[in-house]
Amino acid sequence: MKKHLNFHPIFIAFVSVALLGASFQNLYAQKAKNTVRLKAKYVKIMDGEIYFDIAAAAKVGKQNLDVSHVDIYAYNEVNDEEIELGKTTTNAKGESKFVLPNLNALKPDSTNTYTVNFSFKGNDTLKKASKSLSFKNADIKAKIITKDSINYISATLIDTDSTSPLTKTILNIQVNRLFKSLPIGDEYNYTDENGTIFVPIEEGIPGVDGILTLEVVLKESNDYGTVKAFVKAPVGVPSVEESTFDERTMWSPRNKTPWFLLIYPNILIFITWGLFVYLIINLFKISKS
Amino acid sequence: MNTNDKLINDLAPQKFGKLGVIWTSTLIVIIIIGIIAYIDQVIKGQVVTNMRDYALWGIYISNFVFFVATSFVGSVTVAILRLTNNTWRTPLVRIAEIITLAAITMAGITIMLDMGRPDRLIYLFIYARLQSPITWDVIIIPSFLVISFLLLYFPLLPDLAILKDHFKEKNPVLSKWYGKLSLNWRGSDKQKALQAKSIKIIALMIIPLSLILQTIDAWLFSTTYRIGWDSTNFGGYFIAGAFVAGLGALVTIIYIVRRVYKLEDYITEFHFDKIGKLLVLACLTYLYFNINEYLLPAYTASVDEATHLNTLFSGSYAIPFWTVTIGGIILPIIILLFKKGRKPLPMFIIGLIVVLSSWWKRYIIVTPTLLHPFLPIQGVPESWRHYFPSLHEWAITTATLAMALLIITLLVRFLPIIPIQRTADEQELLKTTKTIEP
Repeated sequence: MKKHLNFHPIFIAFVSVALLGASFQNLYAQKAKNTVRLKAKYVKIMDGEIYFDIAAAAKVGKQNLDVSHVDIYAYNEVNDEEIELGKTTTNAKGESKFVLPNLNALKPDSTNTYTVNFSFKGNDTLKKASKSLSFKNADIKAKIITKDSINYISATLIDTDSTSPLTKTILNIQVNRLFKSLPIGDEYNYTDENGTIFVPIEEGIPGVDGILTLEVVLKESNDYGTVKAFVKAPVGVPSVEESTFDERTMWSPRNKTPWFLLIYPNILIFITWGLFVYLIINLFKISKS
Repeated sequence: MNTNDKLINDLAPQKFGKLGVIWTSTLIVIIIIGIIAYIDQVIKGQVVTNMRDYALWGIYISNFVFFVATSFVGSVTVAILRLTNNTWRTPLVRIAEIITLAAITMAGITIMLDMGRPDRLIYLFIYARLQSPITWDVIIIPSFLVISFLLLYFPLLPDLAILKDHFKEKNPVLSKWYGKLSLNWRGSDKQKALQAKSIKIIALMIIPLSLILQTIDAWLFSTTYRIGWDSTNFGGYFIAGAFVAGLGALVTIIYIVRRVYKLEDYITEFHFDKIGKLLVLACLTYLYFNINEYLLPAYTASVDEATHLNTLFSGSYAIPFWTVTIGGIILPIIILLFKKGRKPLPMFIIGLIVVLSSWWKRYIIVTPTLLHPFLPIQGVPESWRHYFPSLHEWAITTATLAMALLIITLLVRFLPIIPIQRTADEQELLKTTKTIEP
């Protein structure tokens, strides 16, 4: 028995080194933090809200995971000065929307450029991270024009501060739909020397009471971010509601069963079970006779 | 022993032999295993099955369809042959009636096994929606259960009265039960008239009811848009399939009962010959519907339809598909067309193949379609795209089959397998009044 426990010194040394190594690795693993990557987009809705879409993700192993329920702080950076704007918390998908009351809440620098920095301060498992975003203020002015019985959408894109038109810039025209907007016009609509585009609106697009919500979008511009303008106009075809909600149909609930389905099967059921009762009565008659 | 006594002795229920006890015990053990598996399924939920978002109907439903199909045998052999005055049916009708009752009882039970919350069974009645084919099924199955019972019971009355007398001294307890169940049958003219009238009504009723049952069963599938089910052919296809399945089961059980109870004098080669011809007719009808079901869609197939048909013709379900098509339809037609093929033993083998093929045919109808859904589901684990029943599903399904066989076994044990009175009347050997009256 004693002989069995008599391990070789080299074997003991090897095991000790292996165990120590494993312990250090474990300690190291506890301290290792994952890198967080922040994404931010600036979106301005004309005559509507101004906000930033923020997304936080971390690379854990080989997987990109959403960083949920963490606080992201927003700062306005002006000439090496940081003004805290507030904070927002990511949702389960690692996304967050930081809404500005208006653009006056931000101070631009001397070139009329606004810089906003989003910062995550880190925690026990995640490293701190930040994302800086710079943009200028642009406006889109959109309206509907009718010419020779054809409806057009006219939109002009200008730099708000300099009031100069933005030329040769792509604007997307689309009709607001339930799930995803429907693009209309050419694939690329470049603004002319006045910063204007002119796109005919196709006939026959259905809308509630014929009213369409047309969207003019400057999409993720490097200088101006995303700017959207909405125009509501009665340029569509009134959609006909084909709801059968109040009708008795094969797909309605049980209190709206079609009459034929209530009458004929119930007659059949009544006759069948009536005959069953008659047959059972015959059994009684047989036993009594 | 006079001829009357011989007839009663031959046809009266007999005690189980050693083999009968082993057979019944085996069935009971299989049923107990199934009950344990079912209790586990109720406790843990249907996660113990291999049914997932794709194959949301599995072996339970195909087994249910098999039972429903098998129950068709009652209307074929009893009602249709009666209304067409085929007198050779006499020694076969009781077994057909027993199979019908056992099959429809088990169909009702099997459909409940597929319910995730069996405690909510009552909701099917309380919240029934007549637009739903499920509701039509809920209505027709109890109706068919009642008519199947009446179909068995009415013709039994004179036989029960005979058995009451027969067992008076041998087994008084059994005799008492036969007496109660015979409803004081004395064979009076009034009783006979009431019985004859009732049987006629039942024979007339069971044909439309069984057609409705099979059609509703088909409509459970064909009222969906699913590829492989969305077919106007399905009602007739299911009726023809039930014709084959029911006759297959009848042939198999008749052969076993004939051998075990030594009824060669009553169920003769002539009967096998006749029922063999009927089975050929059934298989030819079913073949016609199969051609309609598969060949026409193959001509006009859309992409999805072609994918489904390829799975059956040459894909992952090709082996079971061709096995059931050849074994369950084509082979019986070829063999049974020859007189030698309609002898008892070849008929038994064919019957067995037909029954097995009929069971797998329902599996082929249910499963591959579910694996090609009308709207593909995204983000589904790969394993959900395939289906093969779990151990729980096999245990429970085998138990339902064993339960059906147990019902048949017990009814064969306690009831005269061949109608005694009717056989006597036909042979002009026995008059009820003479036998029963003291």
